[in-house]
Amino acid sequence: MATSSDVRDILELEGKSAEPEFVTKESLMNDGKKKKVKKPDHVTFKRPEGMHRELWGLLWTDNKDPPPIFPSDSNQGYKQLKAKIGSSRVRPWKWMPFTNPARKDGAVFYHWRKVADEGKDYPFARFNKVVDVPVYSDLEYQQHLHDEGWTRHETDHLFDLCKRFDVRFIIVHDRWDKQRFRQRSVEDLKERYYSICNTLTKVRAPQGTEPKIKAFDAEHERRRKTQLVKLFERTQEQCEEEEFLIGELKKIELRKKEREKKTQDLQKLITAADSNVDARKTERKATKKKVAPQMKFKEGGATPEPGGIKFPDFKQSGVTLRSHRMKLPASIGQKKMKAIEQVLDELGIEFNPMPTEEIVANFNELRQDIVLLYELKLALASCEYDLQMLHHRHDTLNPSKPLSTSVTSTPLTTPTIEMPPGSITTPTLPTPTLSLSTLTTPTLEESESLVSEPESPAITPNLGTIGDDIIEDPSSSRKKAGEIDVVGTPMRKRKAAMEQINILKKMKQKY
Amino acid sequence: MSGGVYGGDEVGALVFDIGSYSFRAGYAGEDTPKAEIPTHVGVVDDIETAMETDSTGANSEQPAQPDKKYLIDTVYMKHARKGMELASFLKDGMVENWDMFEKVMDYVYSRSIKSEASLHQLLMSEPAWCTKSKREKLTEIMFEKYNIPAFFLCKNSVLSAFANGRSTALILDSGATHTSAVPVYDGYVLTQGIVKSPLAGDFMTVECRKMMDELGVEVVPPYLIQSKEAVPDKQPPKWKRKENIDVTKSFHNYMVKDVLQDFAASVLQVSDTPYDQNAVESMPAVHYEFPNGYNQDFGSERFRACEGLFDPSVIKEAQGNSMLGVGHVVTTSVGMCDIDIRPSLYGGVIVVGGNSLIQGFTDRLNRDLSNKTPPSMRLKIIAAASSAERRFSSWIGGSILASLGSFQQMWVSKQEYEEGGKGCVERKCP
Repeated sequence: MATSSDVRDILELEGKSAEPEFVTKESLMNDGKKKKVKKPDHVTFKRPEGMHRELWGLLWTDNKDPPPIFPSDSNQGYKQLKAKIGSSRVRPWKWMPFTNPARKDGAVFYHWRKVADEGKDYPFARFNKVVDVPVYSDLEYQQHLHDEGWTRHETDHLFDLCKRFDVRFIIVHDRWDKQRFRQRSVEDLKERYYSICNTLTKVRAPQGTEPKIKAFDAEHERRRKTQLVKLFERTQEQCEEEEFLIGELKKIELRKKEREKKTQDLQKLITAADSNVDARKTERKATKKKVAPQMKFKEGGATPEPGGIKFPDFKQSGVTLRSHRMKLPASIGQKKMKAIEQVLDELGIEFNPMPTEEIVANFNELRQDIVLLYELKLALASCEYDLQMLHHRHDTLNPSKPLSTSVTSTPLTTPTIEMPPGSITTPTLPTPTLSLSTLTTPTLEESESLVSEPESPAITPNLGTIGDDIIEDPSSSRKKAGEIDVVGTPMRKRKAAMEQINILKKMKQKY
Repeated sequence: MSGGVYGGDEVGALVFDIGSYSFRAGYAGEDTPKAEIPTHVGVVDDIETAMETDSTGANSEQPAQPDKKYLIDTVYMKHARKGMELASFLKDGMVENWDMFEKVMDYVYSRSIKSEASLHQLLMSEPAWCTKSKREKLTEIMFEKYNIPAFFLCKNSVLSAFANGRSTALILDSGATHTSAVPVYDGYVLTQGIVKSPLAGDFMTVECRKMMDELGVEVVPPYLIQSKEAVPDKQPPKWKRKENIDVTKSFHNYMVKDVLQDFAASVLQVSDTPYDQNAVESMPAVHYEFPNGYNQDFGSERFRACEGLFDPSVIKEAQGNSMLGVGHVVTTSVGMCDIDIRPSLYGGVIVVGGNSLIQGFTDRLNRDLSNKTPPSMRLKIIAAASSAERRFSSWIGGSILASLGSFQQMWVSKQEYEEGGKGCVERKCP
């Protein structure tokens, strides 16, 4: 379709001078303006009475136009993106001579160029960048630039090459005239070049100013290069060995970290156990001095975090149920929970005793100790396992040399705490002695003292009997406490369950 | 200036690229050469024959000496003619026979370019090891005889690098007569690092020839064949020989080589790993039919013939152990360069040349090089996919270079030549 501008073009009429001379994107993508003008007036059509909404929606769509009566070609369909080429005038090109200002000889060549640009400078001449290579005079050379290792000719040759190859030292080195001058390394060339440049700038700088000096450390460069060459010339085996060694180092470090973490955990456990015991001792003294129980509880809260369970502090204002203080925090795992339940069951203590101030405190402490005991047992089991492993390894590596008896004498065969309340020596534990008796007995004593307290009548019958039981047969109760399942194989669990049943039977017999 | 981004300037320059197999000529700014003519030229001594050809109009050349007639371009030189010797005007990639060279230039200007030499600047390629005297002689001839307005000589490896969009690269050019590795740094050839090996296209045809002898296949070039009949696989061919054919040995050899080149291009393949009879047996065979109708499947043979390119130790009559396999050529060349630029060279190993088009060439090269390069180096092999881009890489690079606006200041103009003499080419064209 010929537009009016085409017609004007053909007839060479200069009608529309306002039209842009250059093809812009808008003009190519076919008039964005016209559409804006033709904004439809907001005509609304009412839905006729009785016509379904869906049918009306089909007919009367987004463009808010009434449906066409007969098919028509709306100018916009696929034509919208058609490029309008040739909307501007053709710019003629001409084969014309040109001189290049970047050339010194003023040679005239011919090229195609727009007529409009005729007479303008050659546009590519500005890309002619020249590196500034200093020039020295004879006098300057004699006064400042003389060097024992370099002759004047050699220096001149260097500067000539630098100028020709724009200070690309690699090329300069490549094109160095080896017939006339001796072989020099790239660093030698650079050193000479930069030293001359620096000397010249220093000499030429006006008095009192500090000229900029190009820093070049030839020695450092040479060392760097030799190192690079060494790196480059490594053989395949060397590379593989290096990789292998790095891998080994990583493994060793990983193992070390693991070990450290383990010992740290153990240390924590043991200190927790110790501090619990200490705290308990002071507490006991305090009770003997008949300090108010409320105070005691506060003190207990203030002591450094005892091992086992972390009971949340109730700091929020307002009324709370005291039984909430007994609630086990959610962070305790299923296994620990089970262990607690099991021991409580064995001891015959109900899971939710009457929450008097004292009972809450003691109950919490008891459970803390149970968990701590459980954790210690776990640690002990893993230590024993490690020990056995090491033992085994030692045996396989050194079959001739049996291990010293001090290590083997540790009771490896007793996973339940049947051991005497004395001391266990495990080589991997940081503190060699760990008194289990101090761990378990205070709790029991506590419960005993609890019984004697007149303020807690609610649980007296139950606890009293247990207390009696404990006092009656401390070793058996210790045995029970030792029955906590060190979660391991299902075999162990079953065994523990069996024993538990036995104990329950015993207890029943006693009643 | 047709656009700031494009940076081109149309000045009507010509680009000539002389290779040991063919001579490529065309206008700068185009993507392929206008003409590719063989570097080999037929020479006829006999005056009578020369007269004969003149009368038939087969050659429009005006012979400089009446007793020598040069037959240039495929149509004329591949035609069986009594007493025609085929010879190349090149030796080791450099022009040796200037007489013949001038004839070829005449022919190119009049038949391929079809324009006056004095109207076009000329950019010519040269091998990286070109000597000073050859360059000066060439410059002299071009300015004095052809009266060109401006001239430029550029190393073909630099042009190949430009054609692949790099100014720093290692050009591995496997052409007809030799395989060479040339380090290019910032658009300059590092002359110290050039490594050449004779294991290239011609070596391959020699290997093919040996293979044919072993297999007992007679290679008959098409010019000897009057007629032929189709025969089953591996059956003796049935063909009729043309009578009254009297050609020189050089012509016959060239024609046989022609057949073998076709064979090499269509059948041979470089095995991915060092040659292993068992591995190669399992590869599919390729069927090939010779001009005389003989046809057969080629299985492991097609791998064995080109193994020598990469592993010269398998060549039976290895002349000493001086020859270098393709991978070795590259590593040796890089090893001779400054340690600082080695990473950038390994980062751009550009494979060019017609011989590199043999199947599996780049794969094997890649494997060999990755085994040899230290792990600290990143290896990248650049090989254009199309055959034209590989065979004409230096011409294409020249075409790009000569049509750049910023290149127009580099020409050695006629004025400069007249002022500075032929020595100016050494200074202006590094």
